[in-house]
Amino acid sequence: MPLAQTEDIVRAVCTDKWDGERVSPSLFVGENISVSRLAVVPLADHWDLFRQYVQKPPERWLERIAQINVGRLQNIGRSQNPAVALTVEPKPVDWNMGHAEIPQKITRGLASKILPELTLHRPPTRDRE
Amino acid sequence: MTTLSLPTKSPAYTLEEGLREPAAASSVRRGAPDEWAREELLLRKLGPKGWGRVYQFRNYYESGWGDKGRVLSPRALDAFFRFLEEATFPAAKSTPSVFLTDRGGIELCWEDRNGKSMQVEFTGTGAEFYKAATDEEGSVAFDGLGQLSHRLSA
Repeated sequence: MPLAQTEDIVRAVCTDKWDGERVSPSLFVGENISVSRLAVVPLADHWDLFRQYVQKPPERWLERIAQINVGRLQNIGRSQNPAVALTVEPKPVDWNMGHAEIPQKITRGLASKILPELTLHRPPTRDRE
Repeated sequence: MTTLSLPTKSPAYTLEEGLREPAAASSVRRGAPDEWAREELLLRKLGPKGWGRVYQFRNYYESGWGDKGRVLSPRALDAFFRFLEEATFPAAKSTPSVFLTDRGGIELCWEDRNGKSMQVEFTGTGAEFYKAATDEEGSVAFDGLGQLSHRLSA
């Protein structure tokens, strides 16, 4: 069952998709984009989770966490021409019970409209700042 | 004055004739001329940050990086350099950004003179682009890269 519009989702932004100034549009381009639910795992815990399972030092570091509301995401999809009915489906995995996916294909143009709507969270500690 | 010198010893091993290198060749190894030109091109168009990121993507992101990340495609890199040679970016406070995509492509992002987003992802087959000013997206093959560069740079 798809996530409710009221839920917020997050996605890890690592060194390959962040250069200190811009976020890569390809963060949201493609099908089955992996995201994680804040309703299941709080934001503060996502830092540890992503550091443990997503970043791969020494080349790939977790730099930011991007957050967006599901309803907002769906509005962006609807306003695209042609409209895209975006959904977020829960897909729990061993390491993250909050894991979910956006199954629809997101084009570069649509991803470019999602990007400005993201809230980018900085790491809570300044260990790599 | 007495000069002491160590007695010469025969080496513990000797290389066979076929494995020896001429002295000149073994001193300093230089990259191929086009490699130097590429380095210079990167620095000139993308600055030290862009140069450093491309270096990292080429040398440190092995297959399987991230979730299902593929190693940077040499053909994508060729396409990227072909585009960069022809590209002119508007003077801005920040140089274009370079990213590595999960499928082994390399992505270039900048803003046009009106601050609208421009994006090109170079892949093993050519490039995919997006121009926010006209909400236009599409793809070109290798032989269309020069034309695309002029179109997006104008």
